[in-house]
Order: sequence, then structure tokens, then C-alpha cells
Amino acid sequence: MISLRLAIESRDSSPLMRAVLSVLLALVAAGFLGSLAFALAGGEVSATWRALIKGALGSGYSLSEILLKAAPLTLTGLAVALCRHLNLWNIGAEGQFVFGALSACAVGLSMPPGWPAYLGLPLALAAAIAGGAAYSLGPALLKARLGVSEILSTLLLNYVALLFMEHLYFGPWRDPLGMGFPGTAELPQAVWLPALFGSRVHWGLPLALGLSGAVWLLLARTRWGFSARVLGLSPQAAAYAGFSSVSLTVTAMCLSGALAGLAGAGELLGVQHRLQDGLASGLGFTGIIVAFLARQNPLAVPLAALFLGGLLVGADQLQTELRLPGAVIATLQAALLFGFMLGEFLAGKRLRLKISASGNDHAS
Amino acid sequence: MLPSPNLENVALLGQIAVKSSTAVLLAALGEIVAERSGVLNLGLEGMLLLGALAGFAAGTATGNPGVALCAAALAGTLAGLVHAFFTVGLGANQVLSGLALTFLGAGLTGVLGRDLLGAPGLVLAPVPIAVLAQIPVLGAALFTQPLPTYLALALAPLLWWTLGHTRLGLIIRACGENASAAHAAGVPVRLVRYGCTCFGGALAGLGGAFLSLSYTPGWKEGLSAGQGWIAIAMVVFALWDPLRALGGALLFGALIAAQFAMQTESANWAPVWILRAMPYLLPIVVLALIFPGSRRRRYIGPPADLGRFFHPEG
Amino acid sequence: MSGPRPVAAADRMTPNHASPLLSCRGLTKRFGGGPLACDRVDLDLFAGRIHVLLGENGAGKSTLMSMLSGWVRPDAGTLFLDETPFFPRSPALAARKGIGMVHQRFSLIEALSGAENLALAAGRALSPRAASDLARRIGLPLDPRKRVAELSMGERQRLEILKLLSRDARILILDEPTSVLAPMEIGGLYDALRRLADQGRAVALITHKLSEIAEVADEVSVMRHGRMAARNLTRRGGASGEWDTAELLRHMAGREVPGVSAKRAGAPKTAPGEIVLRAHALCGPDGPAAGAGVNLEVARGEVLAIVGVAGNGQGALAAMLGGMARPARGELSVLGRRPDRELVAYVPEDRHGTATVASMTLSENMLLTAAGRRGAVFSRKAGARAAEQAIDSLRVAASGADCLARELSGGNLQKFILARELSKSAPLLVMEQPTQGLDALSVSEVHAAILRAARTAAVVLVTGDPAEALSLADRVAVIFKGRIVGMLGSDEPDALDRIGRLMAGLVPERHAGAGRAGKEG
Repeated sequence: MISLRLAIESRDSSPLMRAVLSVLLALVAAGFLGSLAFALAGGEVSATWRALIKGALGSGYSLSEILLKAAPLTLTGLAVALCRHLNLWNIGAEGQFVFGALSACAVGLSMPPGWPAYLGLPLALAAAIAGGAAYSLGPALLKARLGVSEILSTLLLNYVALLFMEHLYFGPWRDPLGMGFPGTAELPQAVWLPALFGSRVHWGLPLALGLSGAVWLLLARTRWGFSARVLGLSPQAAAYAGFSSVSLTVTAMCLSGALAGLAGAGELLGVQHRLQDGLASGLGFTGIIVAFLARQNPLAVPLAALFLGGLLVGADQLQTELRLPGAVIATLQAALLFGFMLGEFLAGKRLRLKISASGNDHAS
Repeated sequence: MLPSPNLENVALLGQIAVKSSTAVLLAALGEIVAERSGVLNLGLEGMLLLGALAGFAAGTATGNPGVALCAAALAGTLAGLVHAFFTVGLGANQVLSGLALTFLGAGLTGVLGRDLLGAPGLVLAPVPIAVLAQIPVLGAALFTQPLPTYLALALAPLLWWTLGHTRLGLIIRACGENASAAHAAGVPVRLVRYGCTCFGGALAGLGGAFLSLSYTPGWKEGLSAGQGWIAIAMVVFALWDPLRALGGALLFGALIAAQFAMQTESANWAPVWILRAMPYLLPIVVLALIFPGSRRRRYIGPPADLGRFFHPEG
Repeated sequence: MSGPRPVAAADRMTPNHASPLLSCRGLTKRFGGGPLACDRVDLDLFAGRIHVLLGENGAGKSTLMSMLSGWVRPDAGTLFLDETPFFPRSPALAARKGIGMVHQRFSLIEALSGAENLALAAGRALSPRAASDLARRIGLPLDPRKRVAELSMGERQRLEILKLLSRDARILILDEPTSVLAPMEIGGLYDALRRLADQGRAVALITHKLSEIAEVADEVSVMRHGRMAARNLTRRGGASGEWDTAELLRHMAGREVPGVSAKRAGAPKTAPGEIVLRAHALCGPDGPAAGAGVNLEVARGEVLAIVGVAGNGQGALAAMLGGMARPARGELSVLGRRPDRELVAYVPEDRHGTATVASMTLSENMLLTAAGRRGAVFSRKAGARAAEQAIDSLRVAASGADCLARELSGGNLQKFILARELSKSAPLLVMEQPTQGLDALSVSEVHAAILRAARTAAVVLVTGDPAEALSLADRVAVIFKGRIVGMLGSDEPDALDRIGRLMAGLVPERHAGAGRAGKEG
């Protein structure tokens, strides 16, 4: 008697195959789950997809919106990806984003009038970098010296940062002329991020692109980057080689926080120009998706950021036009991640049809 | 200033404390079982939301508390099943899967719950226990609580005993400490991990239902406000022990009660936002204090195989 | 399934006309894309006999036995239990049929107690009293209430054997069981195995050490390169006869084997140079188990061996000497400075997890400790060049410097690591179990490389093999429970014997013998 068996076997997959499959499946899964979410929300599925795409790509305005979203997403994506190379999880990009924005805002609000932009803006940006880095220093030290999970510490600090920010723009930093709307006054022009060639897109975008190249160089071509990658792949090998896990961890997480803080400053100084509700809006969490779709490769992060930006902008359209709840985005983001994981799994497998004669069948 | 410490106020605060510990405790207990079997589930926040919505919706539809709680547990179990499928079945990164589940929970509940926003629903009132509820302070605190609270308080010692003194507990612990040795001894490791993860999801779902049916009755987005994450932190500083988790949850509840007390007295000795940030800051502080000590106690620590993928063929 | 039947002593030694308890025909296994681990192997195991499976490292012995006991699935071939075909699909299923195996790496759950591990394996509750009774009855006493993490390696081995017995195993297979025992404990193990065999069980031992089979084996089979070279051999001249060791060696190696290739005592003794390594009152971070108050001095041109049974603190000591772990107390200096990767060439025991990064290329692995350690921007070309040189120097079988570390076989990886460390020409070379699991050819290559390095550097060799220590070292220190309990010159009389006793903690020698700078702790 012959028996047939469909076997799923492991195989060594090429990195390219894994990249393609995981991203492809992420998109397919997002398509499925998104359609399901649209249906559940009461919309008509294909019309919703059309609206999404039109919303994202339909006008010059929306295209510039995508670029505007891509800048902070690139930075938060870089923040997460950098840490992943050391096998660290920075879930606190949201909080570091906020803290960076707060630091830049502090500079802006306390700037004496008449200060030139070439002093004001760099100062504000430097404050944002320092603020973001400082906000991740605590979790970094806790992880490096005490082994406290950075997942928990960075994530819990997100809530704290948001509460602090609300306190500030509802309270001490509130605009006295604000007519009841909570938020700070508009920041002086000296700290505004200038726009690119008259468009709505600000200089944060080229800055983010440049940084993605810099992060790649750091990881791939420097001694620090090499030791960081070794630590991520094998802490025992890193200890063996004499690499200090404490210094590597703290530096990486602070750099990561700095990048996220810069993203916050970009949103504040380039787009909103005042501290108010809606500054953070999940860009820190979306950075996680960006990092994974880019497979932690700093050079691919801007592409993933563009894609996610398109998704966010399209979904904004859905919210205003079709009155779909904003939570649809979260569903799509979850779908992207699940699809990604499925793709990674399938990339490492191969389907094989096994034919065997009974009697000597060890496999059944 | 703190409220005048008369017996009535203390009883009320005690009741609030115990009540506030329920959701966190249920989620933490479920997570302990899952992690002891080797599965790290970071999706608790999403599961709390799913359970809250499912319980609320079922309660509104049927008016039956039993059905509502079952629906919530079912929602949590299904979410746990998804997580187990990806992590135990496919070998995906457990942190990533948990995060995805958090997104999914927030997303699905936001979409599905849109029509239930602000709607009135079933409310699980406290159920006083006959004689015991008459005891001065403790009666209000421990014996005049809604059903899920009693469940949580009873589950803690039950789980402690099960994990430490039964064969089932031995099997679960074996899967979490050394999956290949457990497999060699004939334990169906993957099945156990699936089961424990689903159980953890069920408890988290119940915790969520408690939030929407008892604690702050009604449905709104972000109902859980980070309690899922606090529960995960609590598992760590309870050192994966259900009784310690009970203590930790009660401390958390006491913190909430203290917040309440200070806010009602319009105390100005600390800015409001710091009080509200306490539930998120304190777990970090506790974690920092726990870790140096726990390294010295060699046998108490995370299950050795926690987070590691197990494949029967090695 | 009936229990084992007792076997009379006389039956044991005669050629067996009874049917085998467990046997296999044509068993074949290939791992991944590599060579055949087992190639059409036949074997018979009989009740009441102790069967030794002999062969060099890498010959396929563990793979074969793993297939017999359900740990590995064969690609082809059939297994027979009591003459009927059977397919053990997992260790648990095989255990239900009465077959159990104790691997070199124990399958114990450290955080649980011995009794709990037994209960898990036995599939039923087992009281600590019942467990210790069982242990005592076979002559391997054990306290089942202690957590496995607190047990010594020898005690853990007993627990593993108890696990098999708690499921009424009729066939017991042990893989290199003496590797975790002090020489004095081996007799106790053999007695227990003999008792078990006399109860009618079949016992199989896997070993690569020819010297061990003499007292215990009833039958010997020899494997070589995945094939069965000789099957079910018996002693010459009946029950109390001798083994034809020359013949066995020939089967193992496939050719006439010269004596031990590298021998320190025969090498020209150069006058030892400056003192390179100084250790005083060295204490590891884990307390008494790890180098409590160790004193050592090693000079250039000297080889010091540290011998001990696995689990007596040598790992922690090697990590401190190698600069990987910070001592908790005491002083440690290499040429007056703290040990670092420039001064110390350290070859740790764990090849895959510590000494190399499995998913990085050989060039990148060179950068771990050897090449390009200066400057912020590292030169990948320097790493590649260094890797090529290392590959050539010890003839490592690798496709090139871009090969991933995990693609190399254990022996080749070890040679690469050694080549990498030797390329540094560091004043101190610290090696942990450098020849563990290597086939004979690689072993002699590695020995030769060590002796070459010993001409200019100070060498510390941590090993569990007293014979290797004596053949390579000038002085041999014995470590027991974290302390150096004795130090001998390698050419002293009865060295092997005395080392054996010290390894078992029997004779704490307060007044060590030779060695101009040697002190013991």
C-alpha cells in the first residue's frame, strides 16, 4: 500500500526570499484583514479600498501629506530598527517622540524675541535630540545594569510622557490667548523647520533620509556597529570578545531615543508649530511596523515609511469621507504584522509530496 | 490632606482597592500560567479590550451576566489561540506576535464597538456575601464585591496550588523550564503551551469584561488604560508566583484607592498628573528594586525556556 | 510488556544463540546536506549483556543509538524489538516499549527536584522515598528532593538512569557515561550496570575510549565513518579472556595506528621564560564552586594542564584566566596587566555559542578577537585576509572566508577558532577542552598546534582527560570543587593514578611535588 503525505520541511532560505515573501504576505494579510475590518465597520469593501487608495494618491495635497508622514516614520522606524540589531525592543518611541517635542517646545517658548533662525532652530533640534535620548536613558540603564526588561520600561514610560505633555499644554504652557483650546501658543518662527522649495514638506524629510544612511553606515561599517551586531546575535560571544554590553546597550538606546525625539521635533517645528492634542498620534508605535517591514535594514526604512505614510493618509480619508473609525488603521497595522510573521514562516519552509510504501514507514 | 481616617472611609477605600486590583490580577494570573509554560504573551492589553467589548456587547444583547462573562472569556481565548498559533505553531517572535495582538485588540474593538460607545449596558453590581459582609472594614473590602473579583481572589491560591502541587502544574512547569526534556518525557509540549496561552487569554478576557461591566460600566476606546502592561510587569516582580501576584495586584489597587482619596480631597501636594502617572511609574521602580535581589535567589526567575520556540524534531 | 528476566552469569559469556532483544537492519541517516551519519548499519543487543559500541568521535555511534531509542528518525532501515518490527517515533514512545537512553547532555529540568523529574518521566506520582529506595537498590544512591541544579554531574547521571528504570526499561543505552565521572566513580557505575544486566536487561555503552571497555564489556561493536566495522565481538578465549585491543584499534581507525602522536615529555625542554600569568587567591563570582582561592603561575614555554571532572569549577576558572569573567576576589595579571583579548588567546569550551557567532562569516568571526581591533572604521578586507590565513594554517575544511560559522563541522570550527587565537601570537593561551568531540586526526593536529604555540607562549590547558593532560603538559593541576587540590609534574611516577584520586577528591595533597614556580591552593 502506498501512502501519500504532504510534508512541510525546513529549508535554508536566502535573505532575499525571506524579505520578499514576508513583505508580500504582510500586504496580502493586510488586504484580507482590512477587508474584514471594512466589512465589520459597515462599509462596502471594494469601495472602501478605492477610497483609501484615492485618498492616498489622489491629489498633490495627499502626496505631500504622505511625505510629511514619511519623515517622522522614517525616524521612529530607524529608532526601532537600530535597537533590534542589538536584540533590544524600543517600544517607547512614542514617549521619546513626545519628550523630544517637549524639549524643542521648551526652547521655542523660552526663546527671547528677535533670535535668528540659524541659532534658534539648531538649538531646538539639539534639545529634542537630548530630550529623546534622556528619556530612554533610564530604561537603558535599567536594562544594561539590572536586566530590567526594556519592553516594559519603555512602554510604561509612554503613558507617563503623554500625561506629562497633557499637563503642560493644559496647564503651565497653556496659551493665554488660546480661547479655551488647550495647547501652547504658536512657536516663534525662529524655531520653525523651513519648508522645502515652497512645498508643504519640510526639511525634516531630507534630514531623515540622511540619517537612515548614517545609521546604516554606523551598523555596517564601524567597529561600534560590529560589536553591537555581535551583542544582538550572541551576548556570550560579545562578552567573550570583550565588548561591553552595558555601554553598547546604553548608547544604542539613547541614539534610538534621540532619533525618536527628533521625529517629535519635526512634527512640532515643521507641521503643527504648537504643542497640542494629536501631536503624537501613534507615530512611535507605527515605527515598529516600519522597522519590521523594512526588515530592520536602515536603508529600506524610508521605503517602508513611505508605504505606511500612504496607508495613514488614505485612512485619514476614510475617516473623513466614509466616517470609518480611526481604529481601522490599528487593524491594518496588526494585519501587516501577522502577515509578515506568516511570510517569514513560509519563506523557511518547502512543501514536499512524500510517497512511501507502508511497512518501512518511519515518517507516518 | 488625606481624608479623615474614620472607619467608613477606610472601608470604602479598601473596597476600591480590592475592586481596582481585579482586572490586573486576572490578567496577571493568566499571564503567569502562560509564561510558566514558556509562552510570553504581550498582547494582554488587546485581550483586555476584546474581553471588555465582548462582555459588554453580550451583556447588552442578552442581559445575562453569565453569558456576558462567557462571551468575554471566549473572546480572550480566541485571541490567545491566535497568539499561540503564531508563536507555538509557526515559531514567530513572541514579542512581535504579542504587539500585533495589542494592535489587533485596539483596532477590532474600535471598529466593532463604535455603535456601543456611550450606550448603557449591563452592570455587574457587587454581591455581598451573607454574614461576612457585615464585618467592619473587611466586610466591605473583601466580601462586598462583584463576581469577577471573587473569582480573581479565589483563583490566586488555586493556581498557586495547582502549579506547585499537582501533576498538571508539574507538566506546565516542565514545558516552561526545559521543553525538550519535557518532550522526551512524553509531555505534549505544544498542546500544553496552546492550552496555557488560551487560558491566559480567557482570564484576560474576563478581566476586560470586569472593566466594562463593573469597574467603569460602559464601553469606550482605550478602556484598559495600560493595565495589561502593568499586569505583565506584575508577573515579573511577582516572580511568576500567583500568590505574590495577588499581593502585587492588591498593592496596585491600594495605589488606585490612594489616588482616589487624594483627588477627592483636592489635595495639592502633588500635581495631578504625577498621581495619574504613578500606576505606570511604580512598576518600573519595583522592577528595578526586585532585579538585583532576585539574581541571588537562584531558583526563582523566569522559566528557563520562556520565549523560546520548541520544535519536536529538534 | 513483561519485565526483564534474570540472566545467569554463565550465560553471559557464551556466544548467544538466543534472539536479540533489540536489533536493527540497514539503519541509515543523513543530516541536512551532509555526509551519511549512519550507513546501512546492523546491530543486535542481547538481554543480560553489556554491549559496548566503540568508535572515534564522529563515527555515528550516538546517531545510531538515538535512532534505536526514538530520539532521531531513521531515513531508512528497520528496527526490531523482540524480533517484531517497531517504529519508535519519539523518546516517550520508545520508553513505553522499554527502551531508554541517557545522552551526554542530560535531559533534566534544572529548576525541578529529582523526584519531580522522575515523576514526569515515570508518568505517575513517585514519592521521594520510593525514588531513593530504587536508587539504593541498584547501588547509585541519590537524594531525590534536591533540585537538579544542586546535583553534581555524577548524581545527575544517576537520576537519568533512575528515570529509565522508573519506566521499567529493558534496554538501557548510555552515551559516554564516564565523561562526567571521576576515575574512582566509574567502578561504581559499572557495578550498577552489571547488576542491571544480570536482571535480564540489555545494556549498551557508547564510548570512544578503548581503555574503558576492558572490565565491563561482554560484547563490542565498532563503528567507523558511519558504518559498522565489526559487530558483536567477544573476548578472546572465553569469559575471562582478554580483548584484542590491536584489532579493535584497527577497526576504529581503519589503519594501523601509531602511538600517541604528540608527546610533551619527548619534546626538547627549553628553559622556561618570564612568568606570564600570575593568579593569587582567585575567587569566582559564584562562590566556592568557582575557583576558591586559586594560586597559579605559568611562564613562557610552559604548559600547565588543569584537569578535573566536569562541573568542578574549571569553566569559571578558565573564563577568569581567559579574561572573560571578572574575578570576585584575588589578583590576576597577565604580564602585569589585566587579561584582555590582546594578551590572552582564549579558546572557550562552547564553540558555537561563545567562541563564534554562528550566523556571521568566518571573516567577521576573525574580527571578534583577532583582526582589526583598532580604529572606529574596521576593515573588512583585513578580516577576510586574516580568515584565509587562519583557514590555511590548520587546513580548516571551509569553502572560504565568506563561509558562515554554522556551516562548519564541530572539528573544523574548533580548528578555525584555534587558528584564529594562535594567529594573535599572544603571550598567554588558555584552552578549554580543545579536542572534545574531535576525530583522531584533528586531535593530533590540534595537539601539534598547541605544542608549537607552547614554544613561545604560556599555555593553560583545561581538560577532563588526564591522559591528554599528561602527554601535553609540564605540570598538571587537579581541580576539585573549585579548588586546586594538587599539582604534579607530568613525568612523576604514578602521575595518572594520583591524578585520578585527586579528581575524585580523595587525597587532598597538601604538599605538592615538583614545579619550580608551582603552588597549589
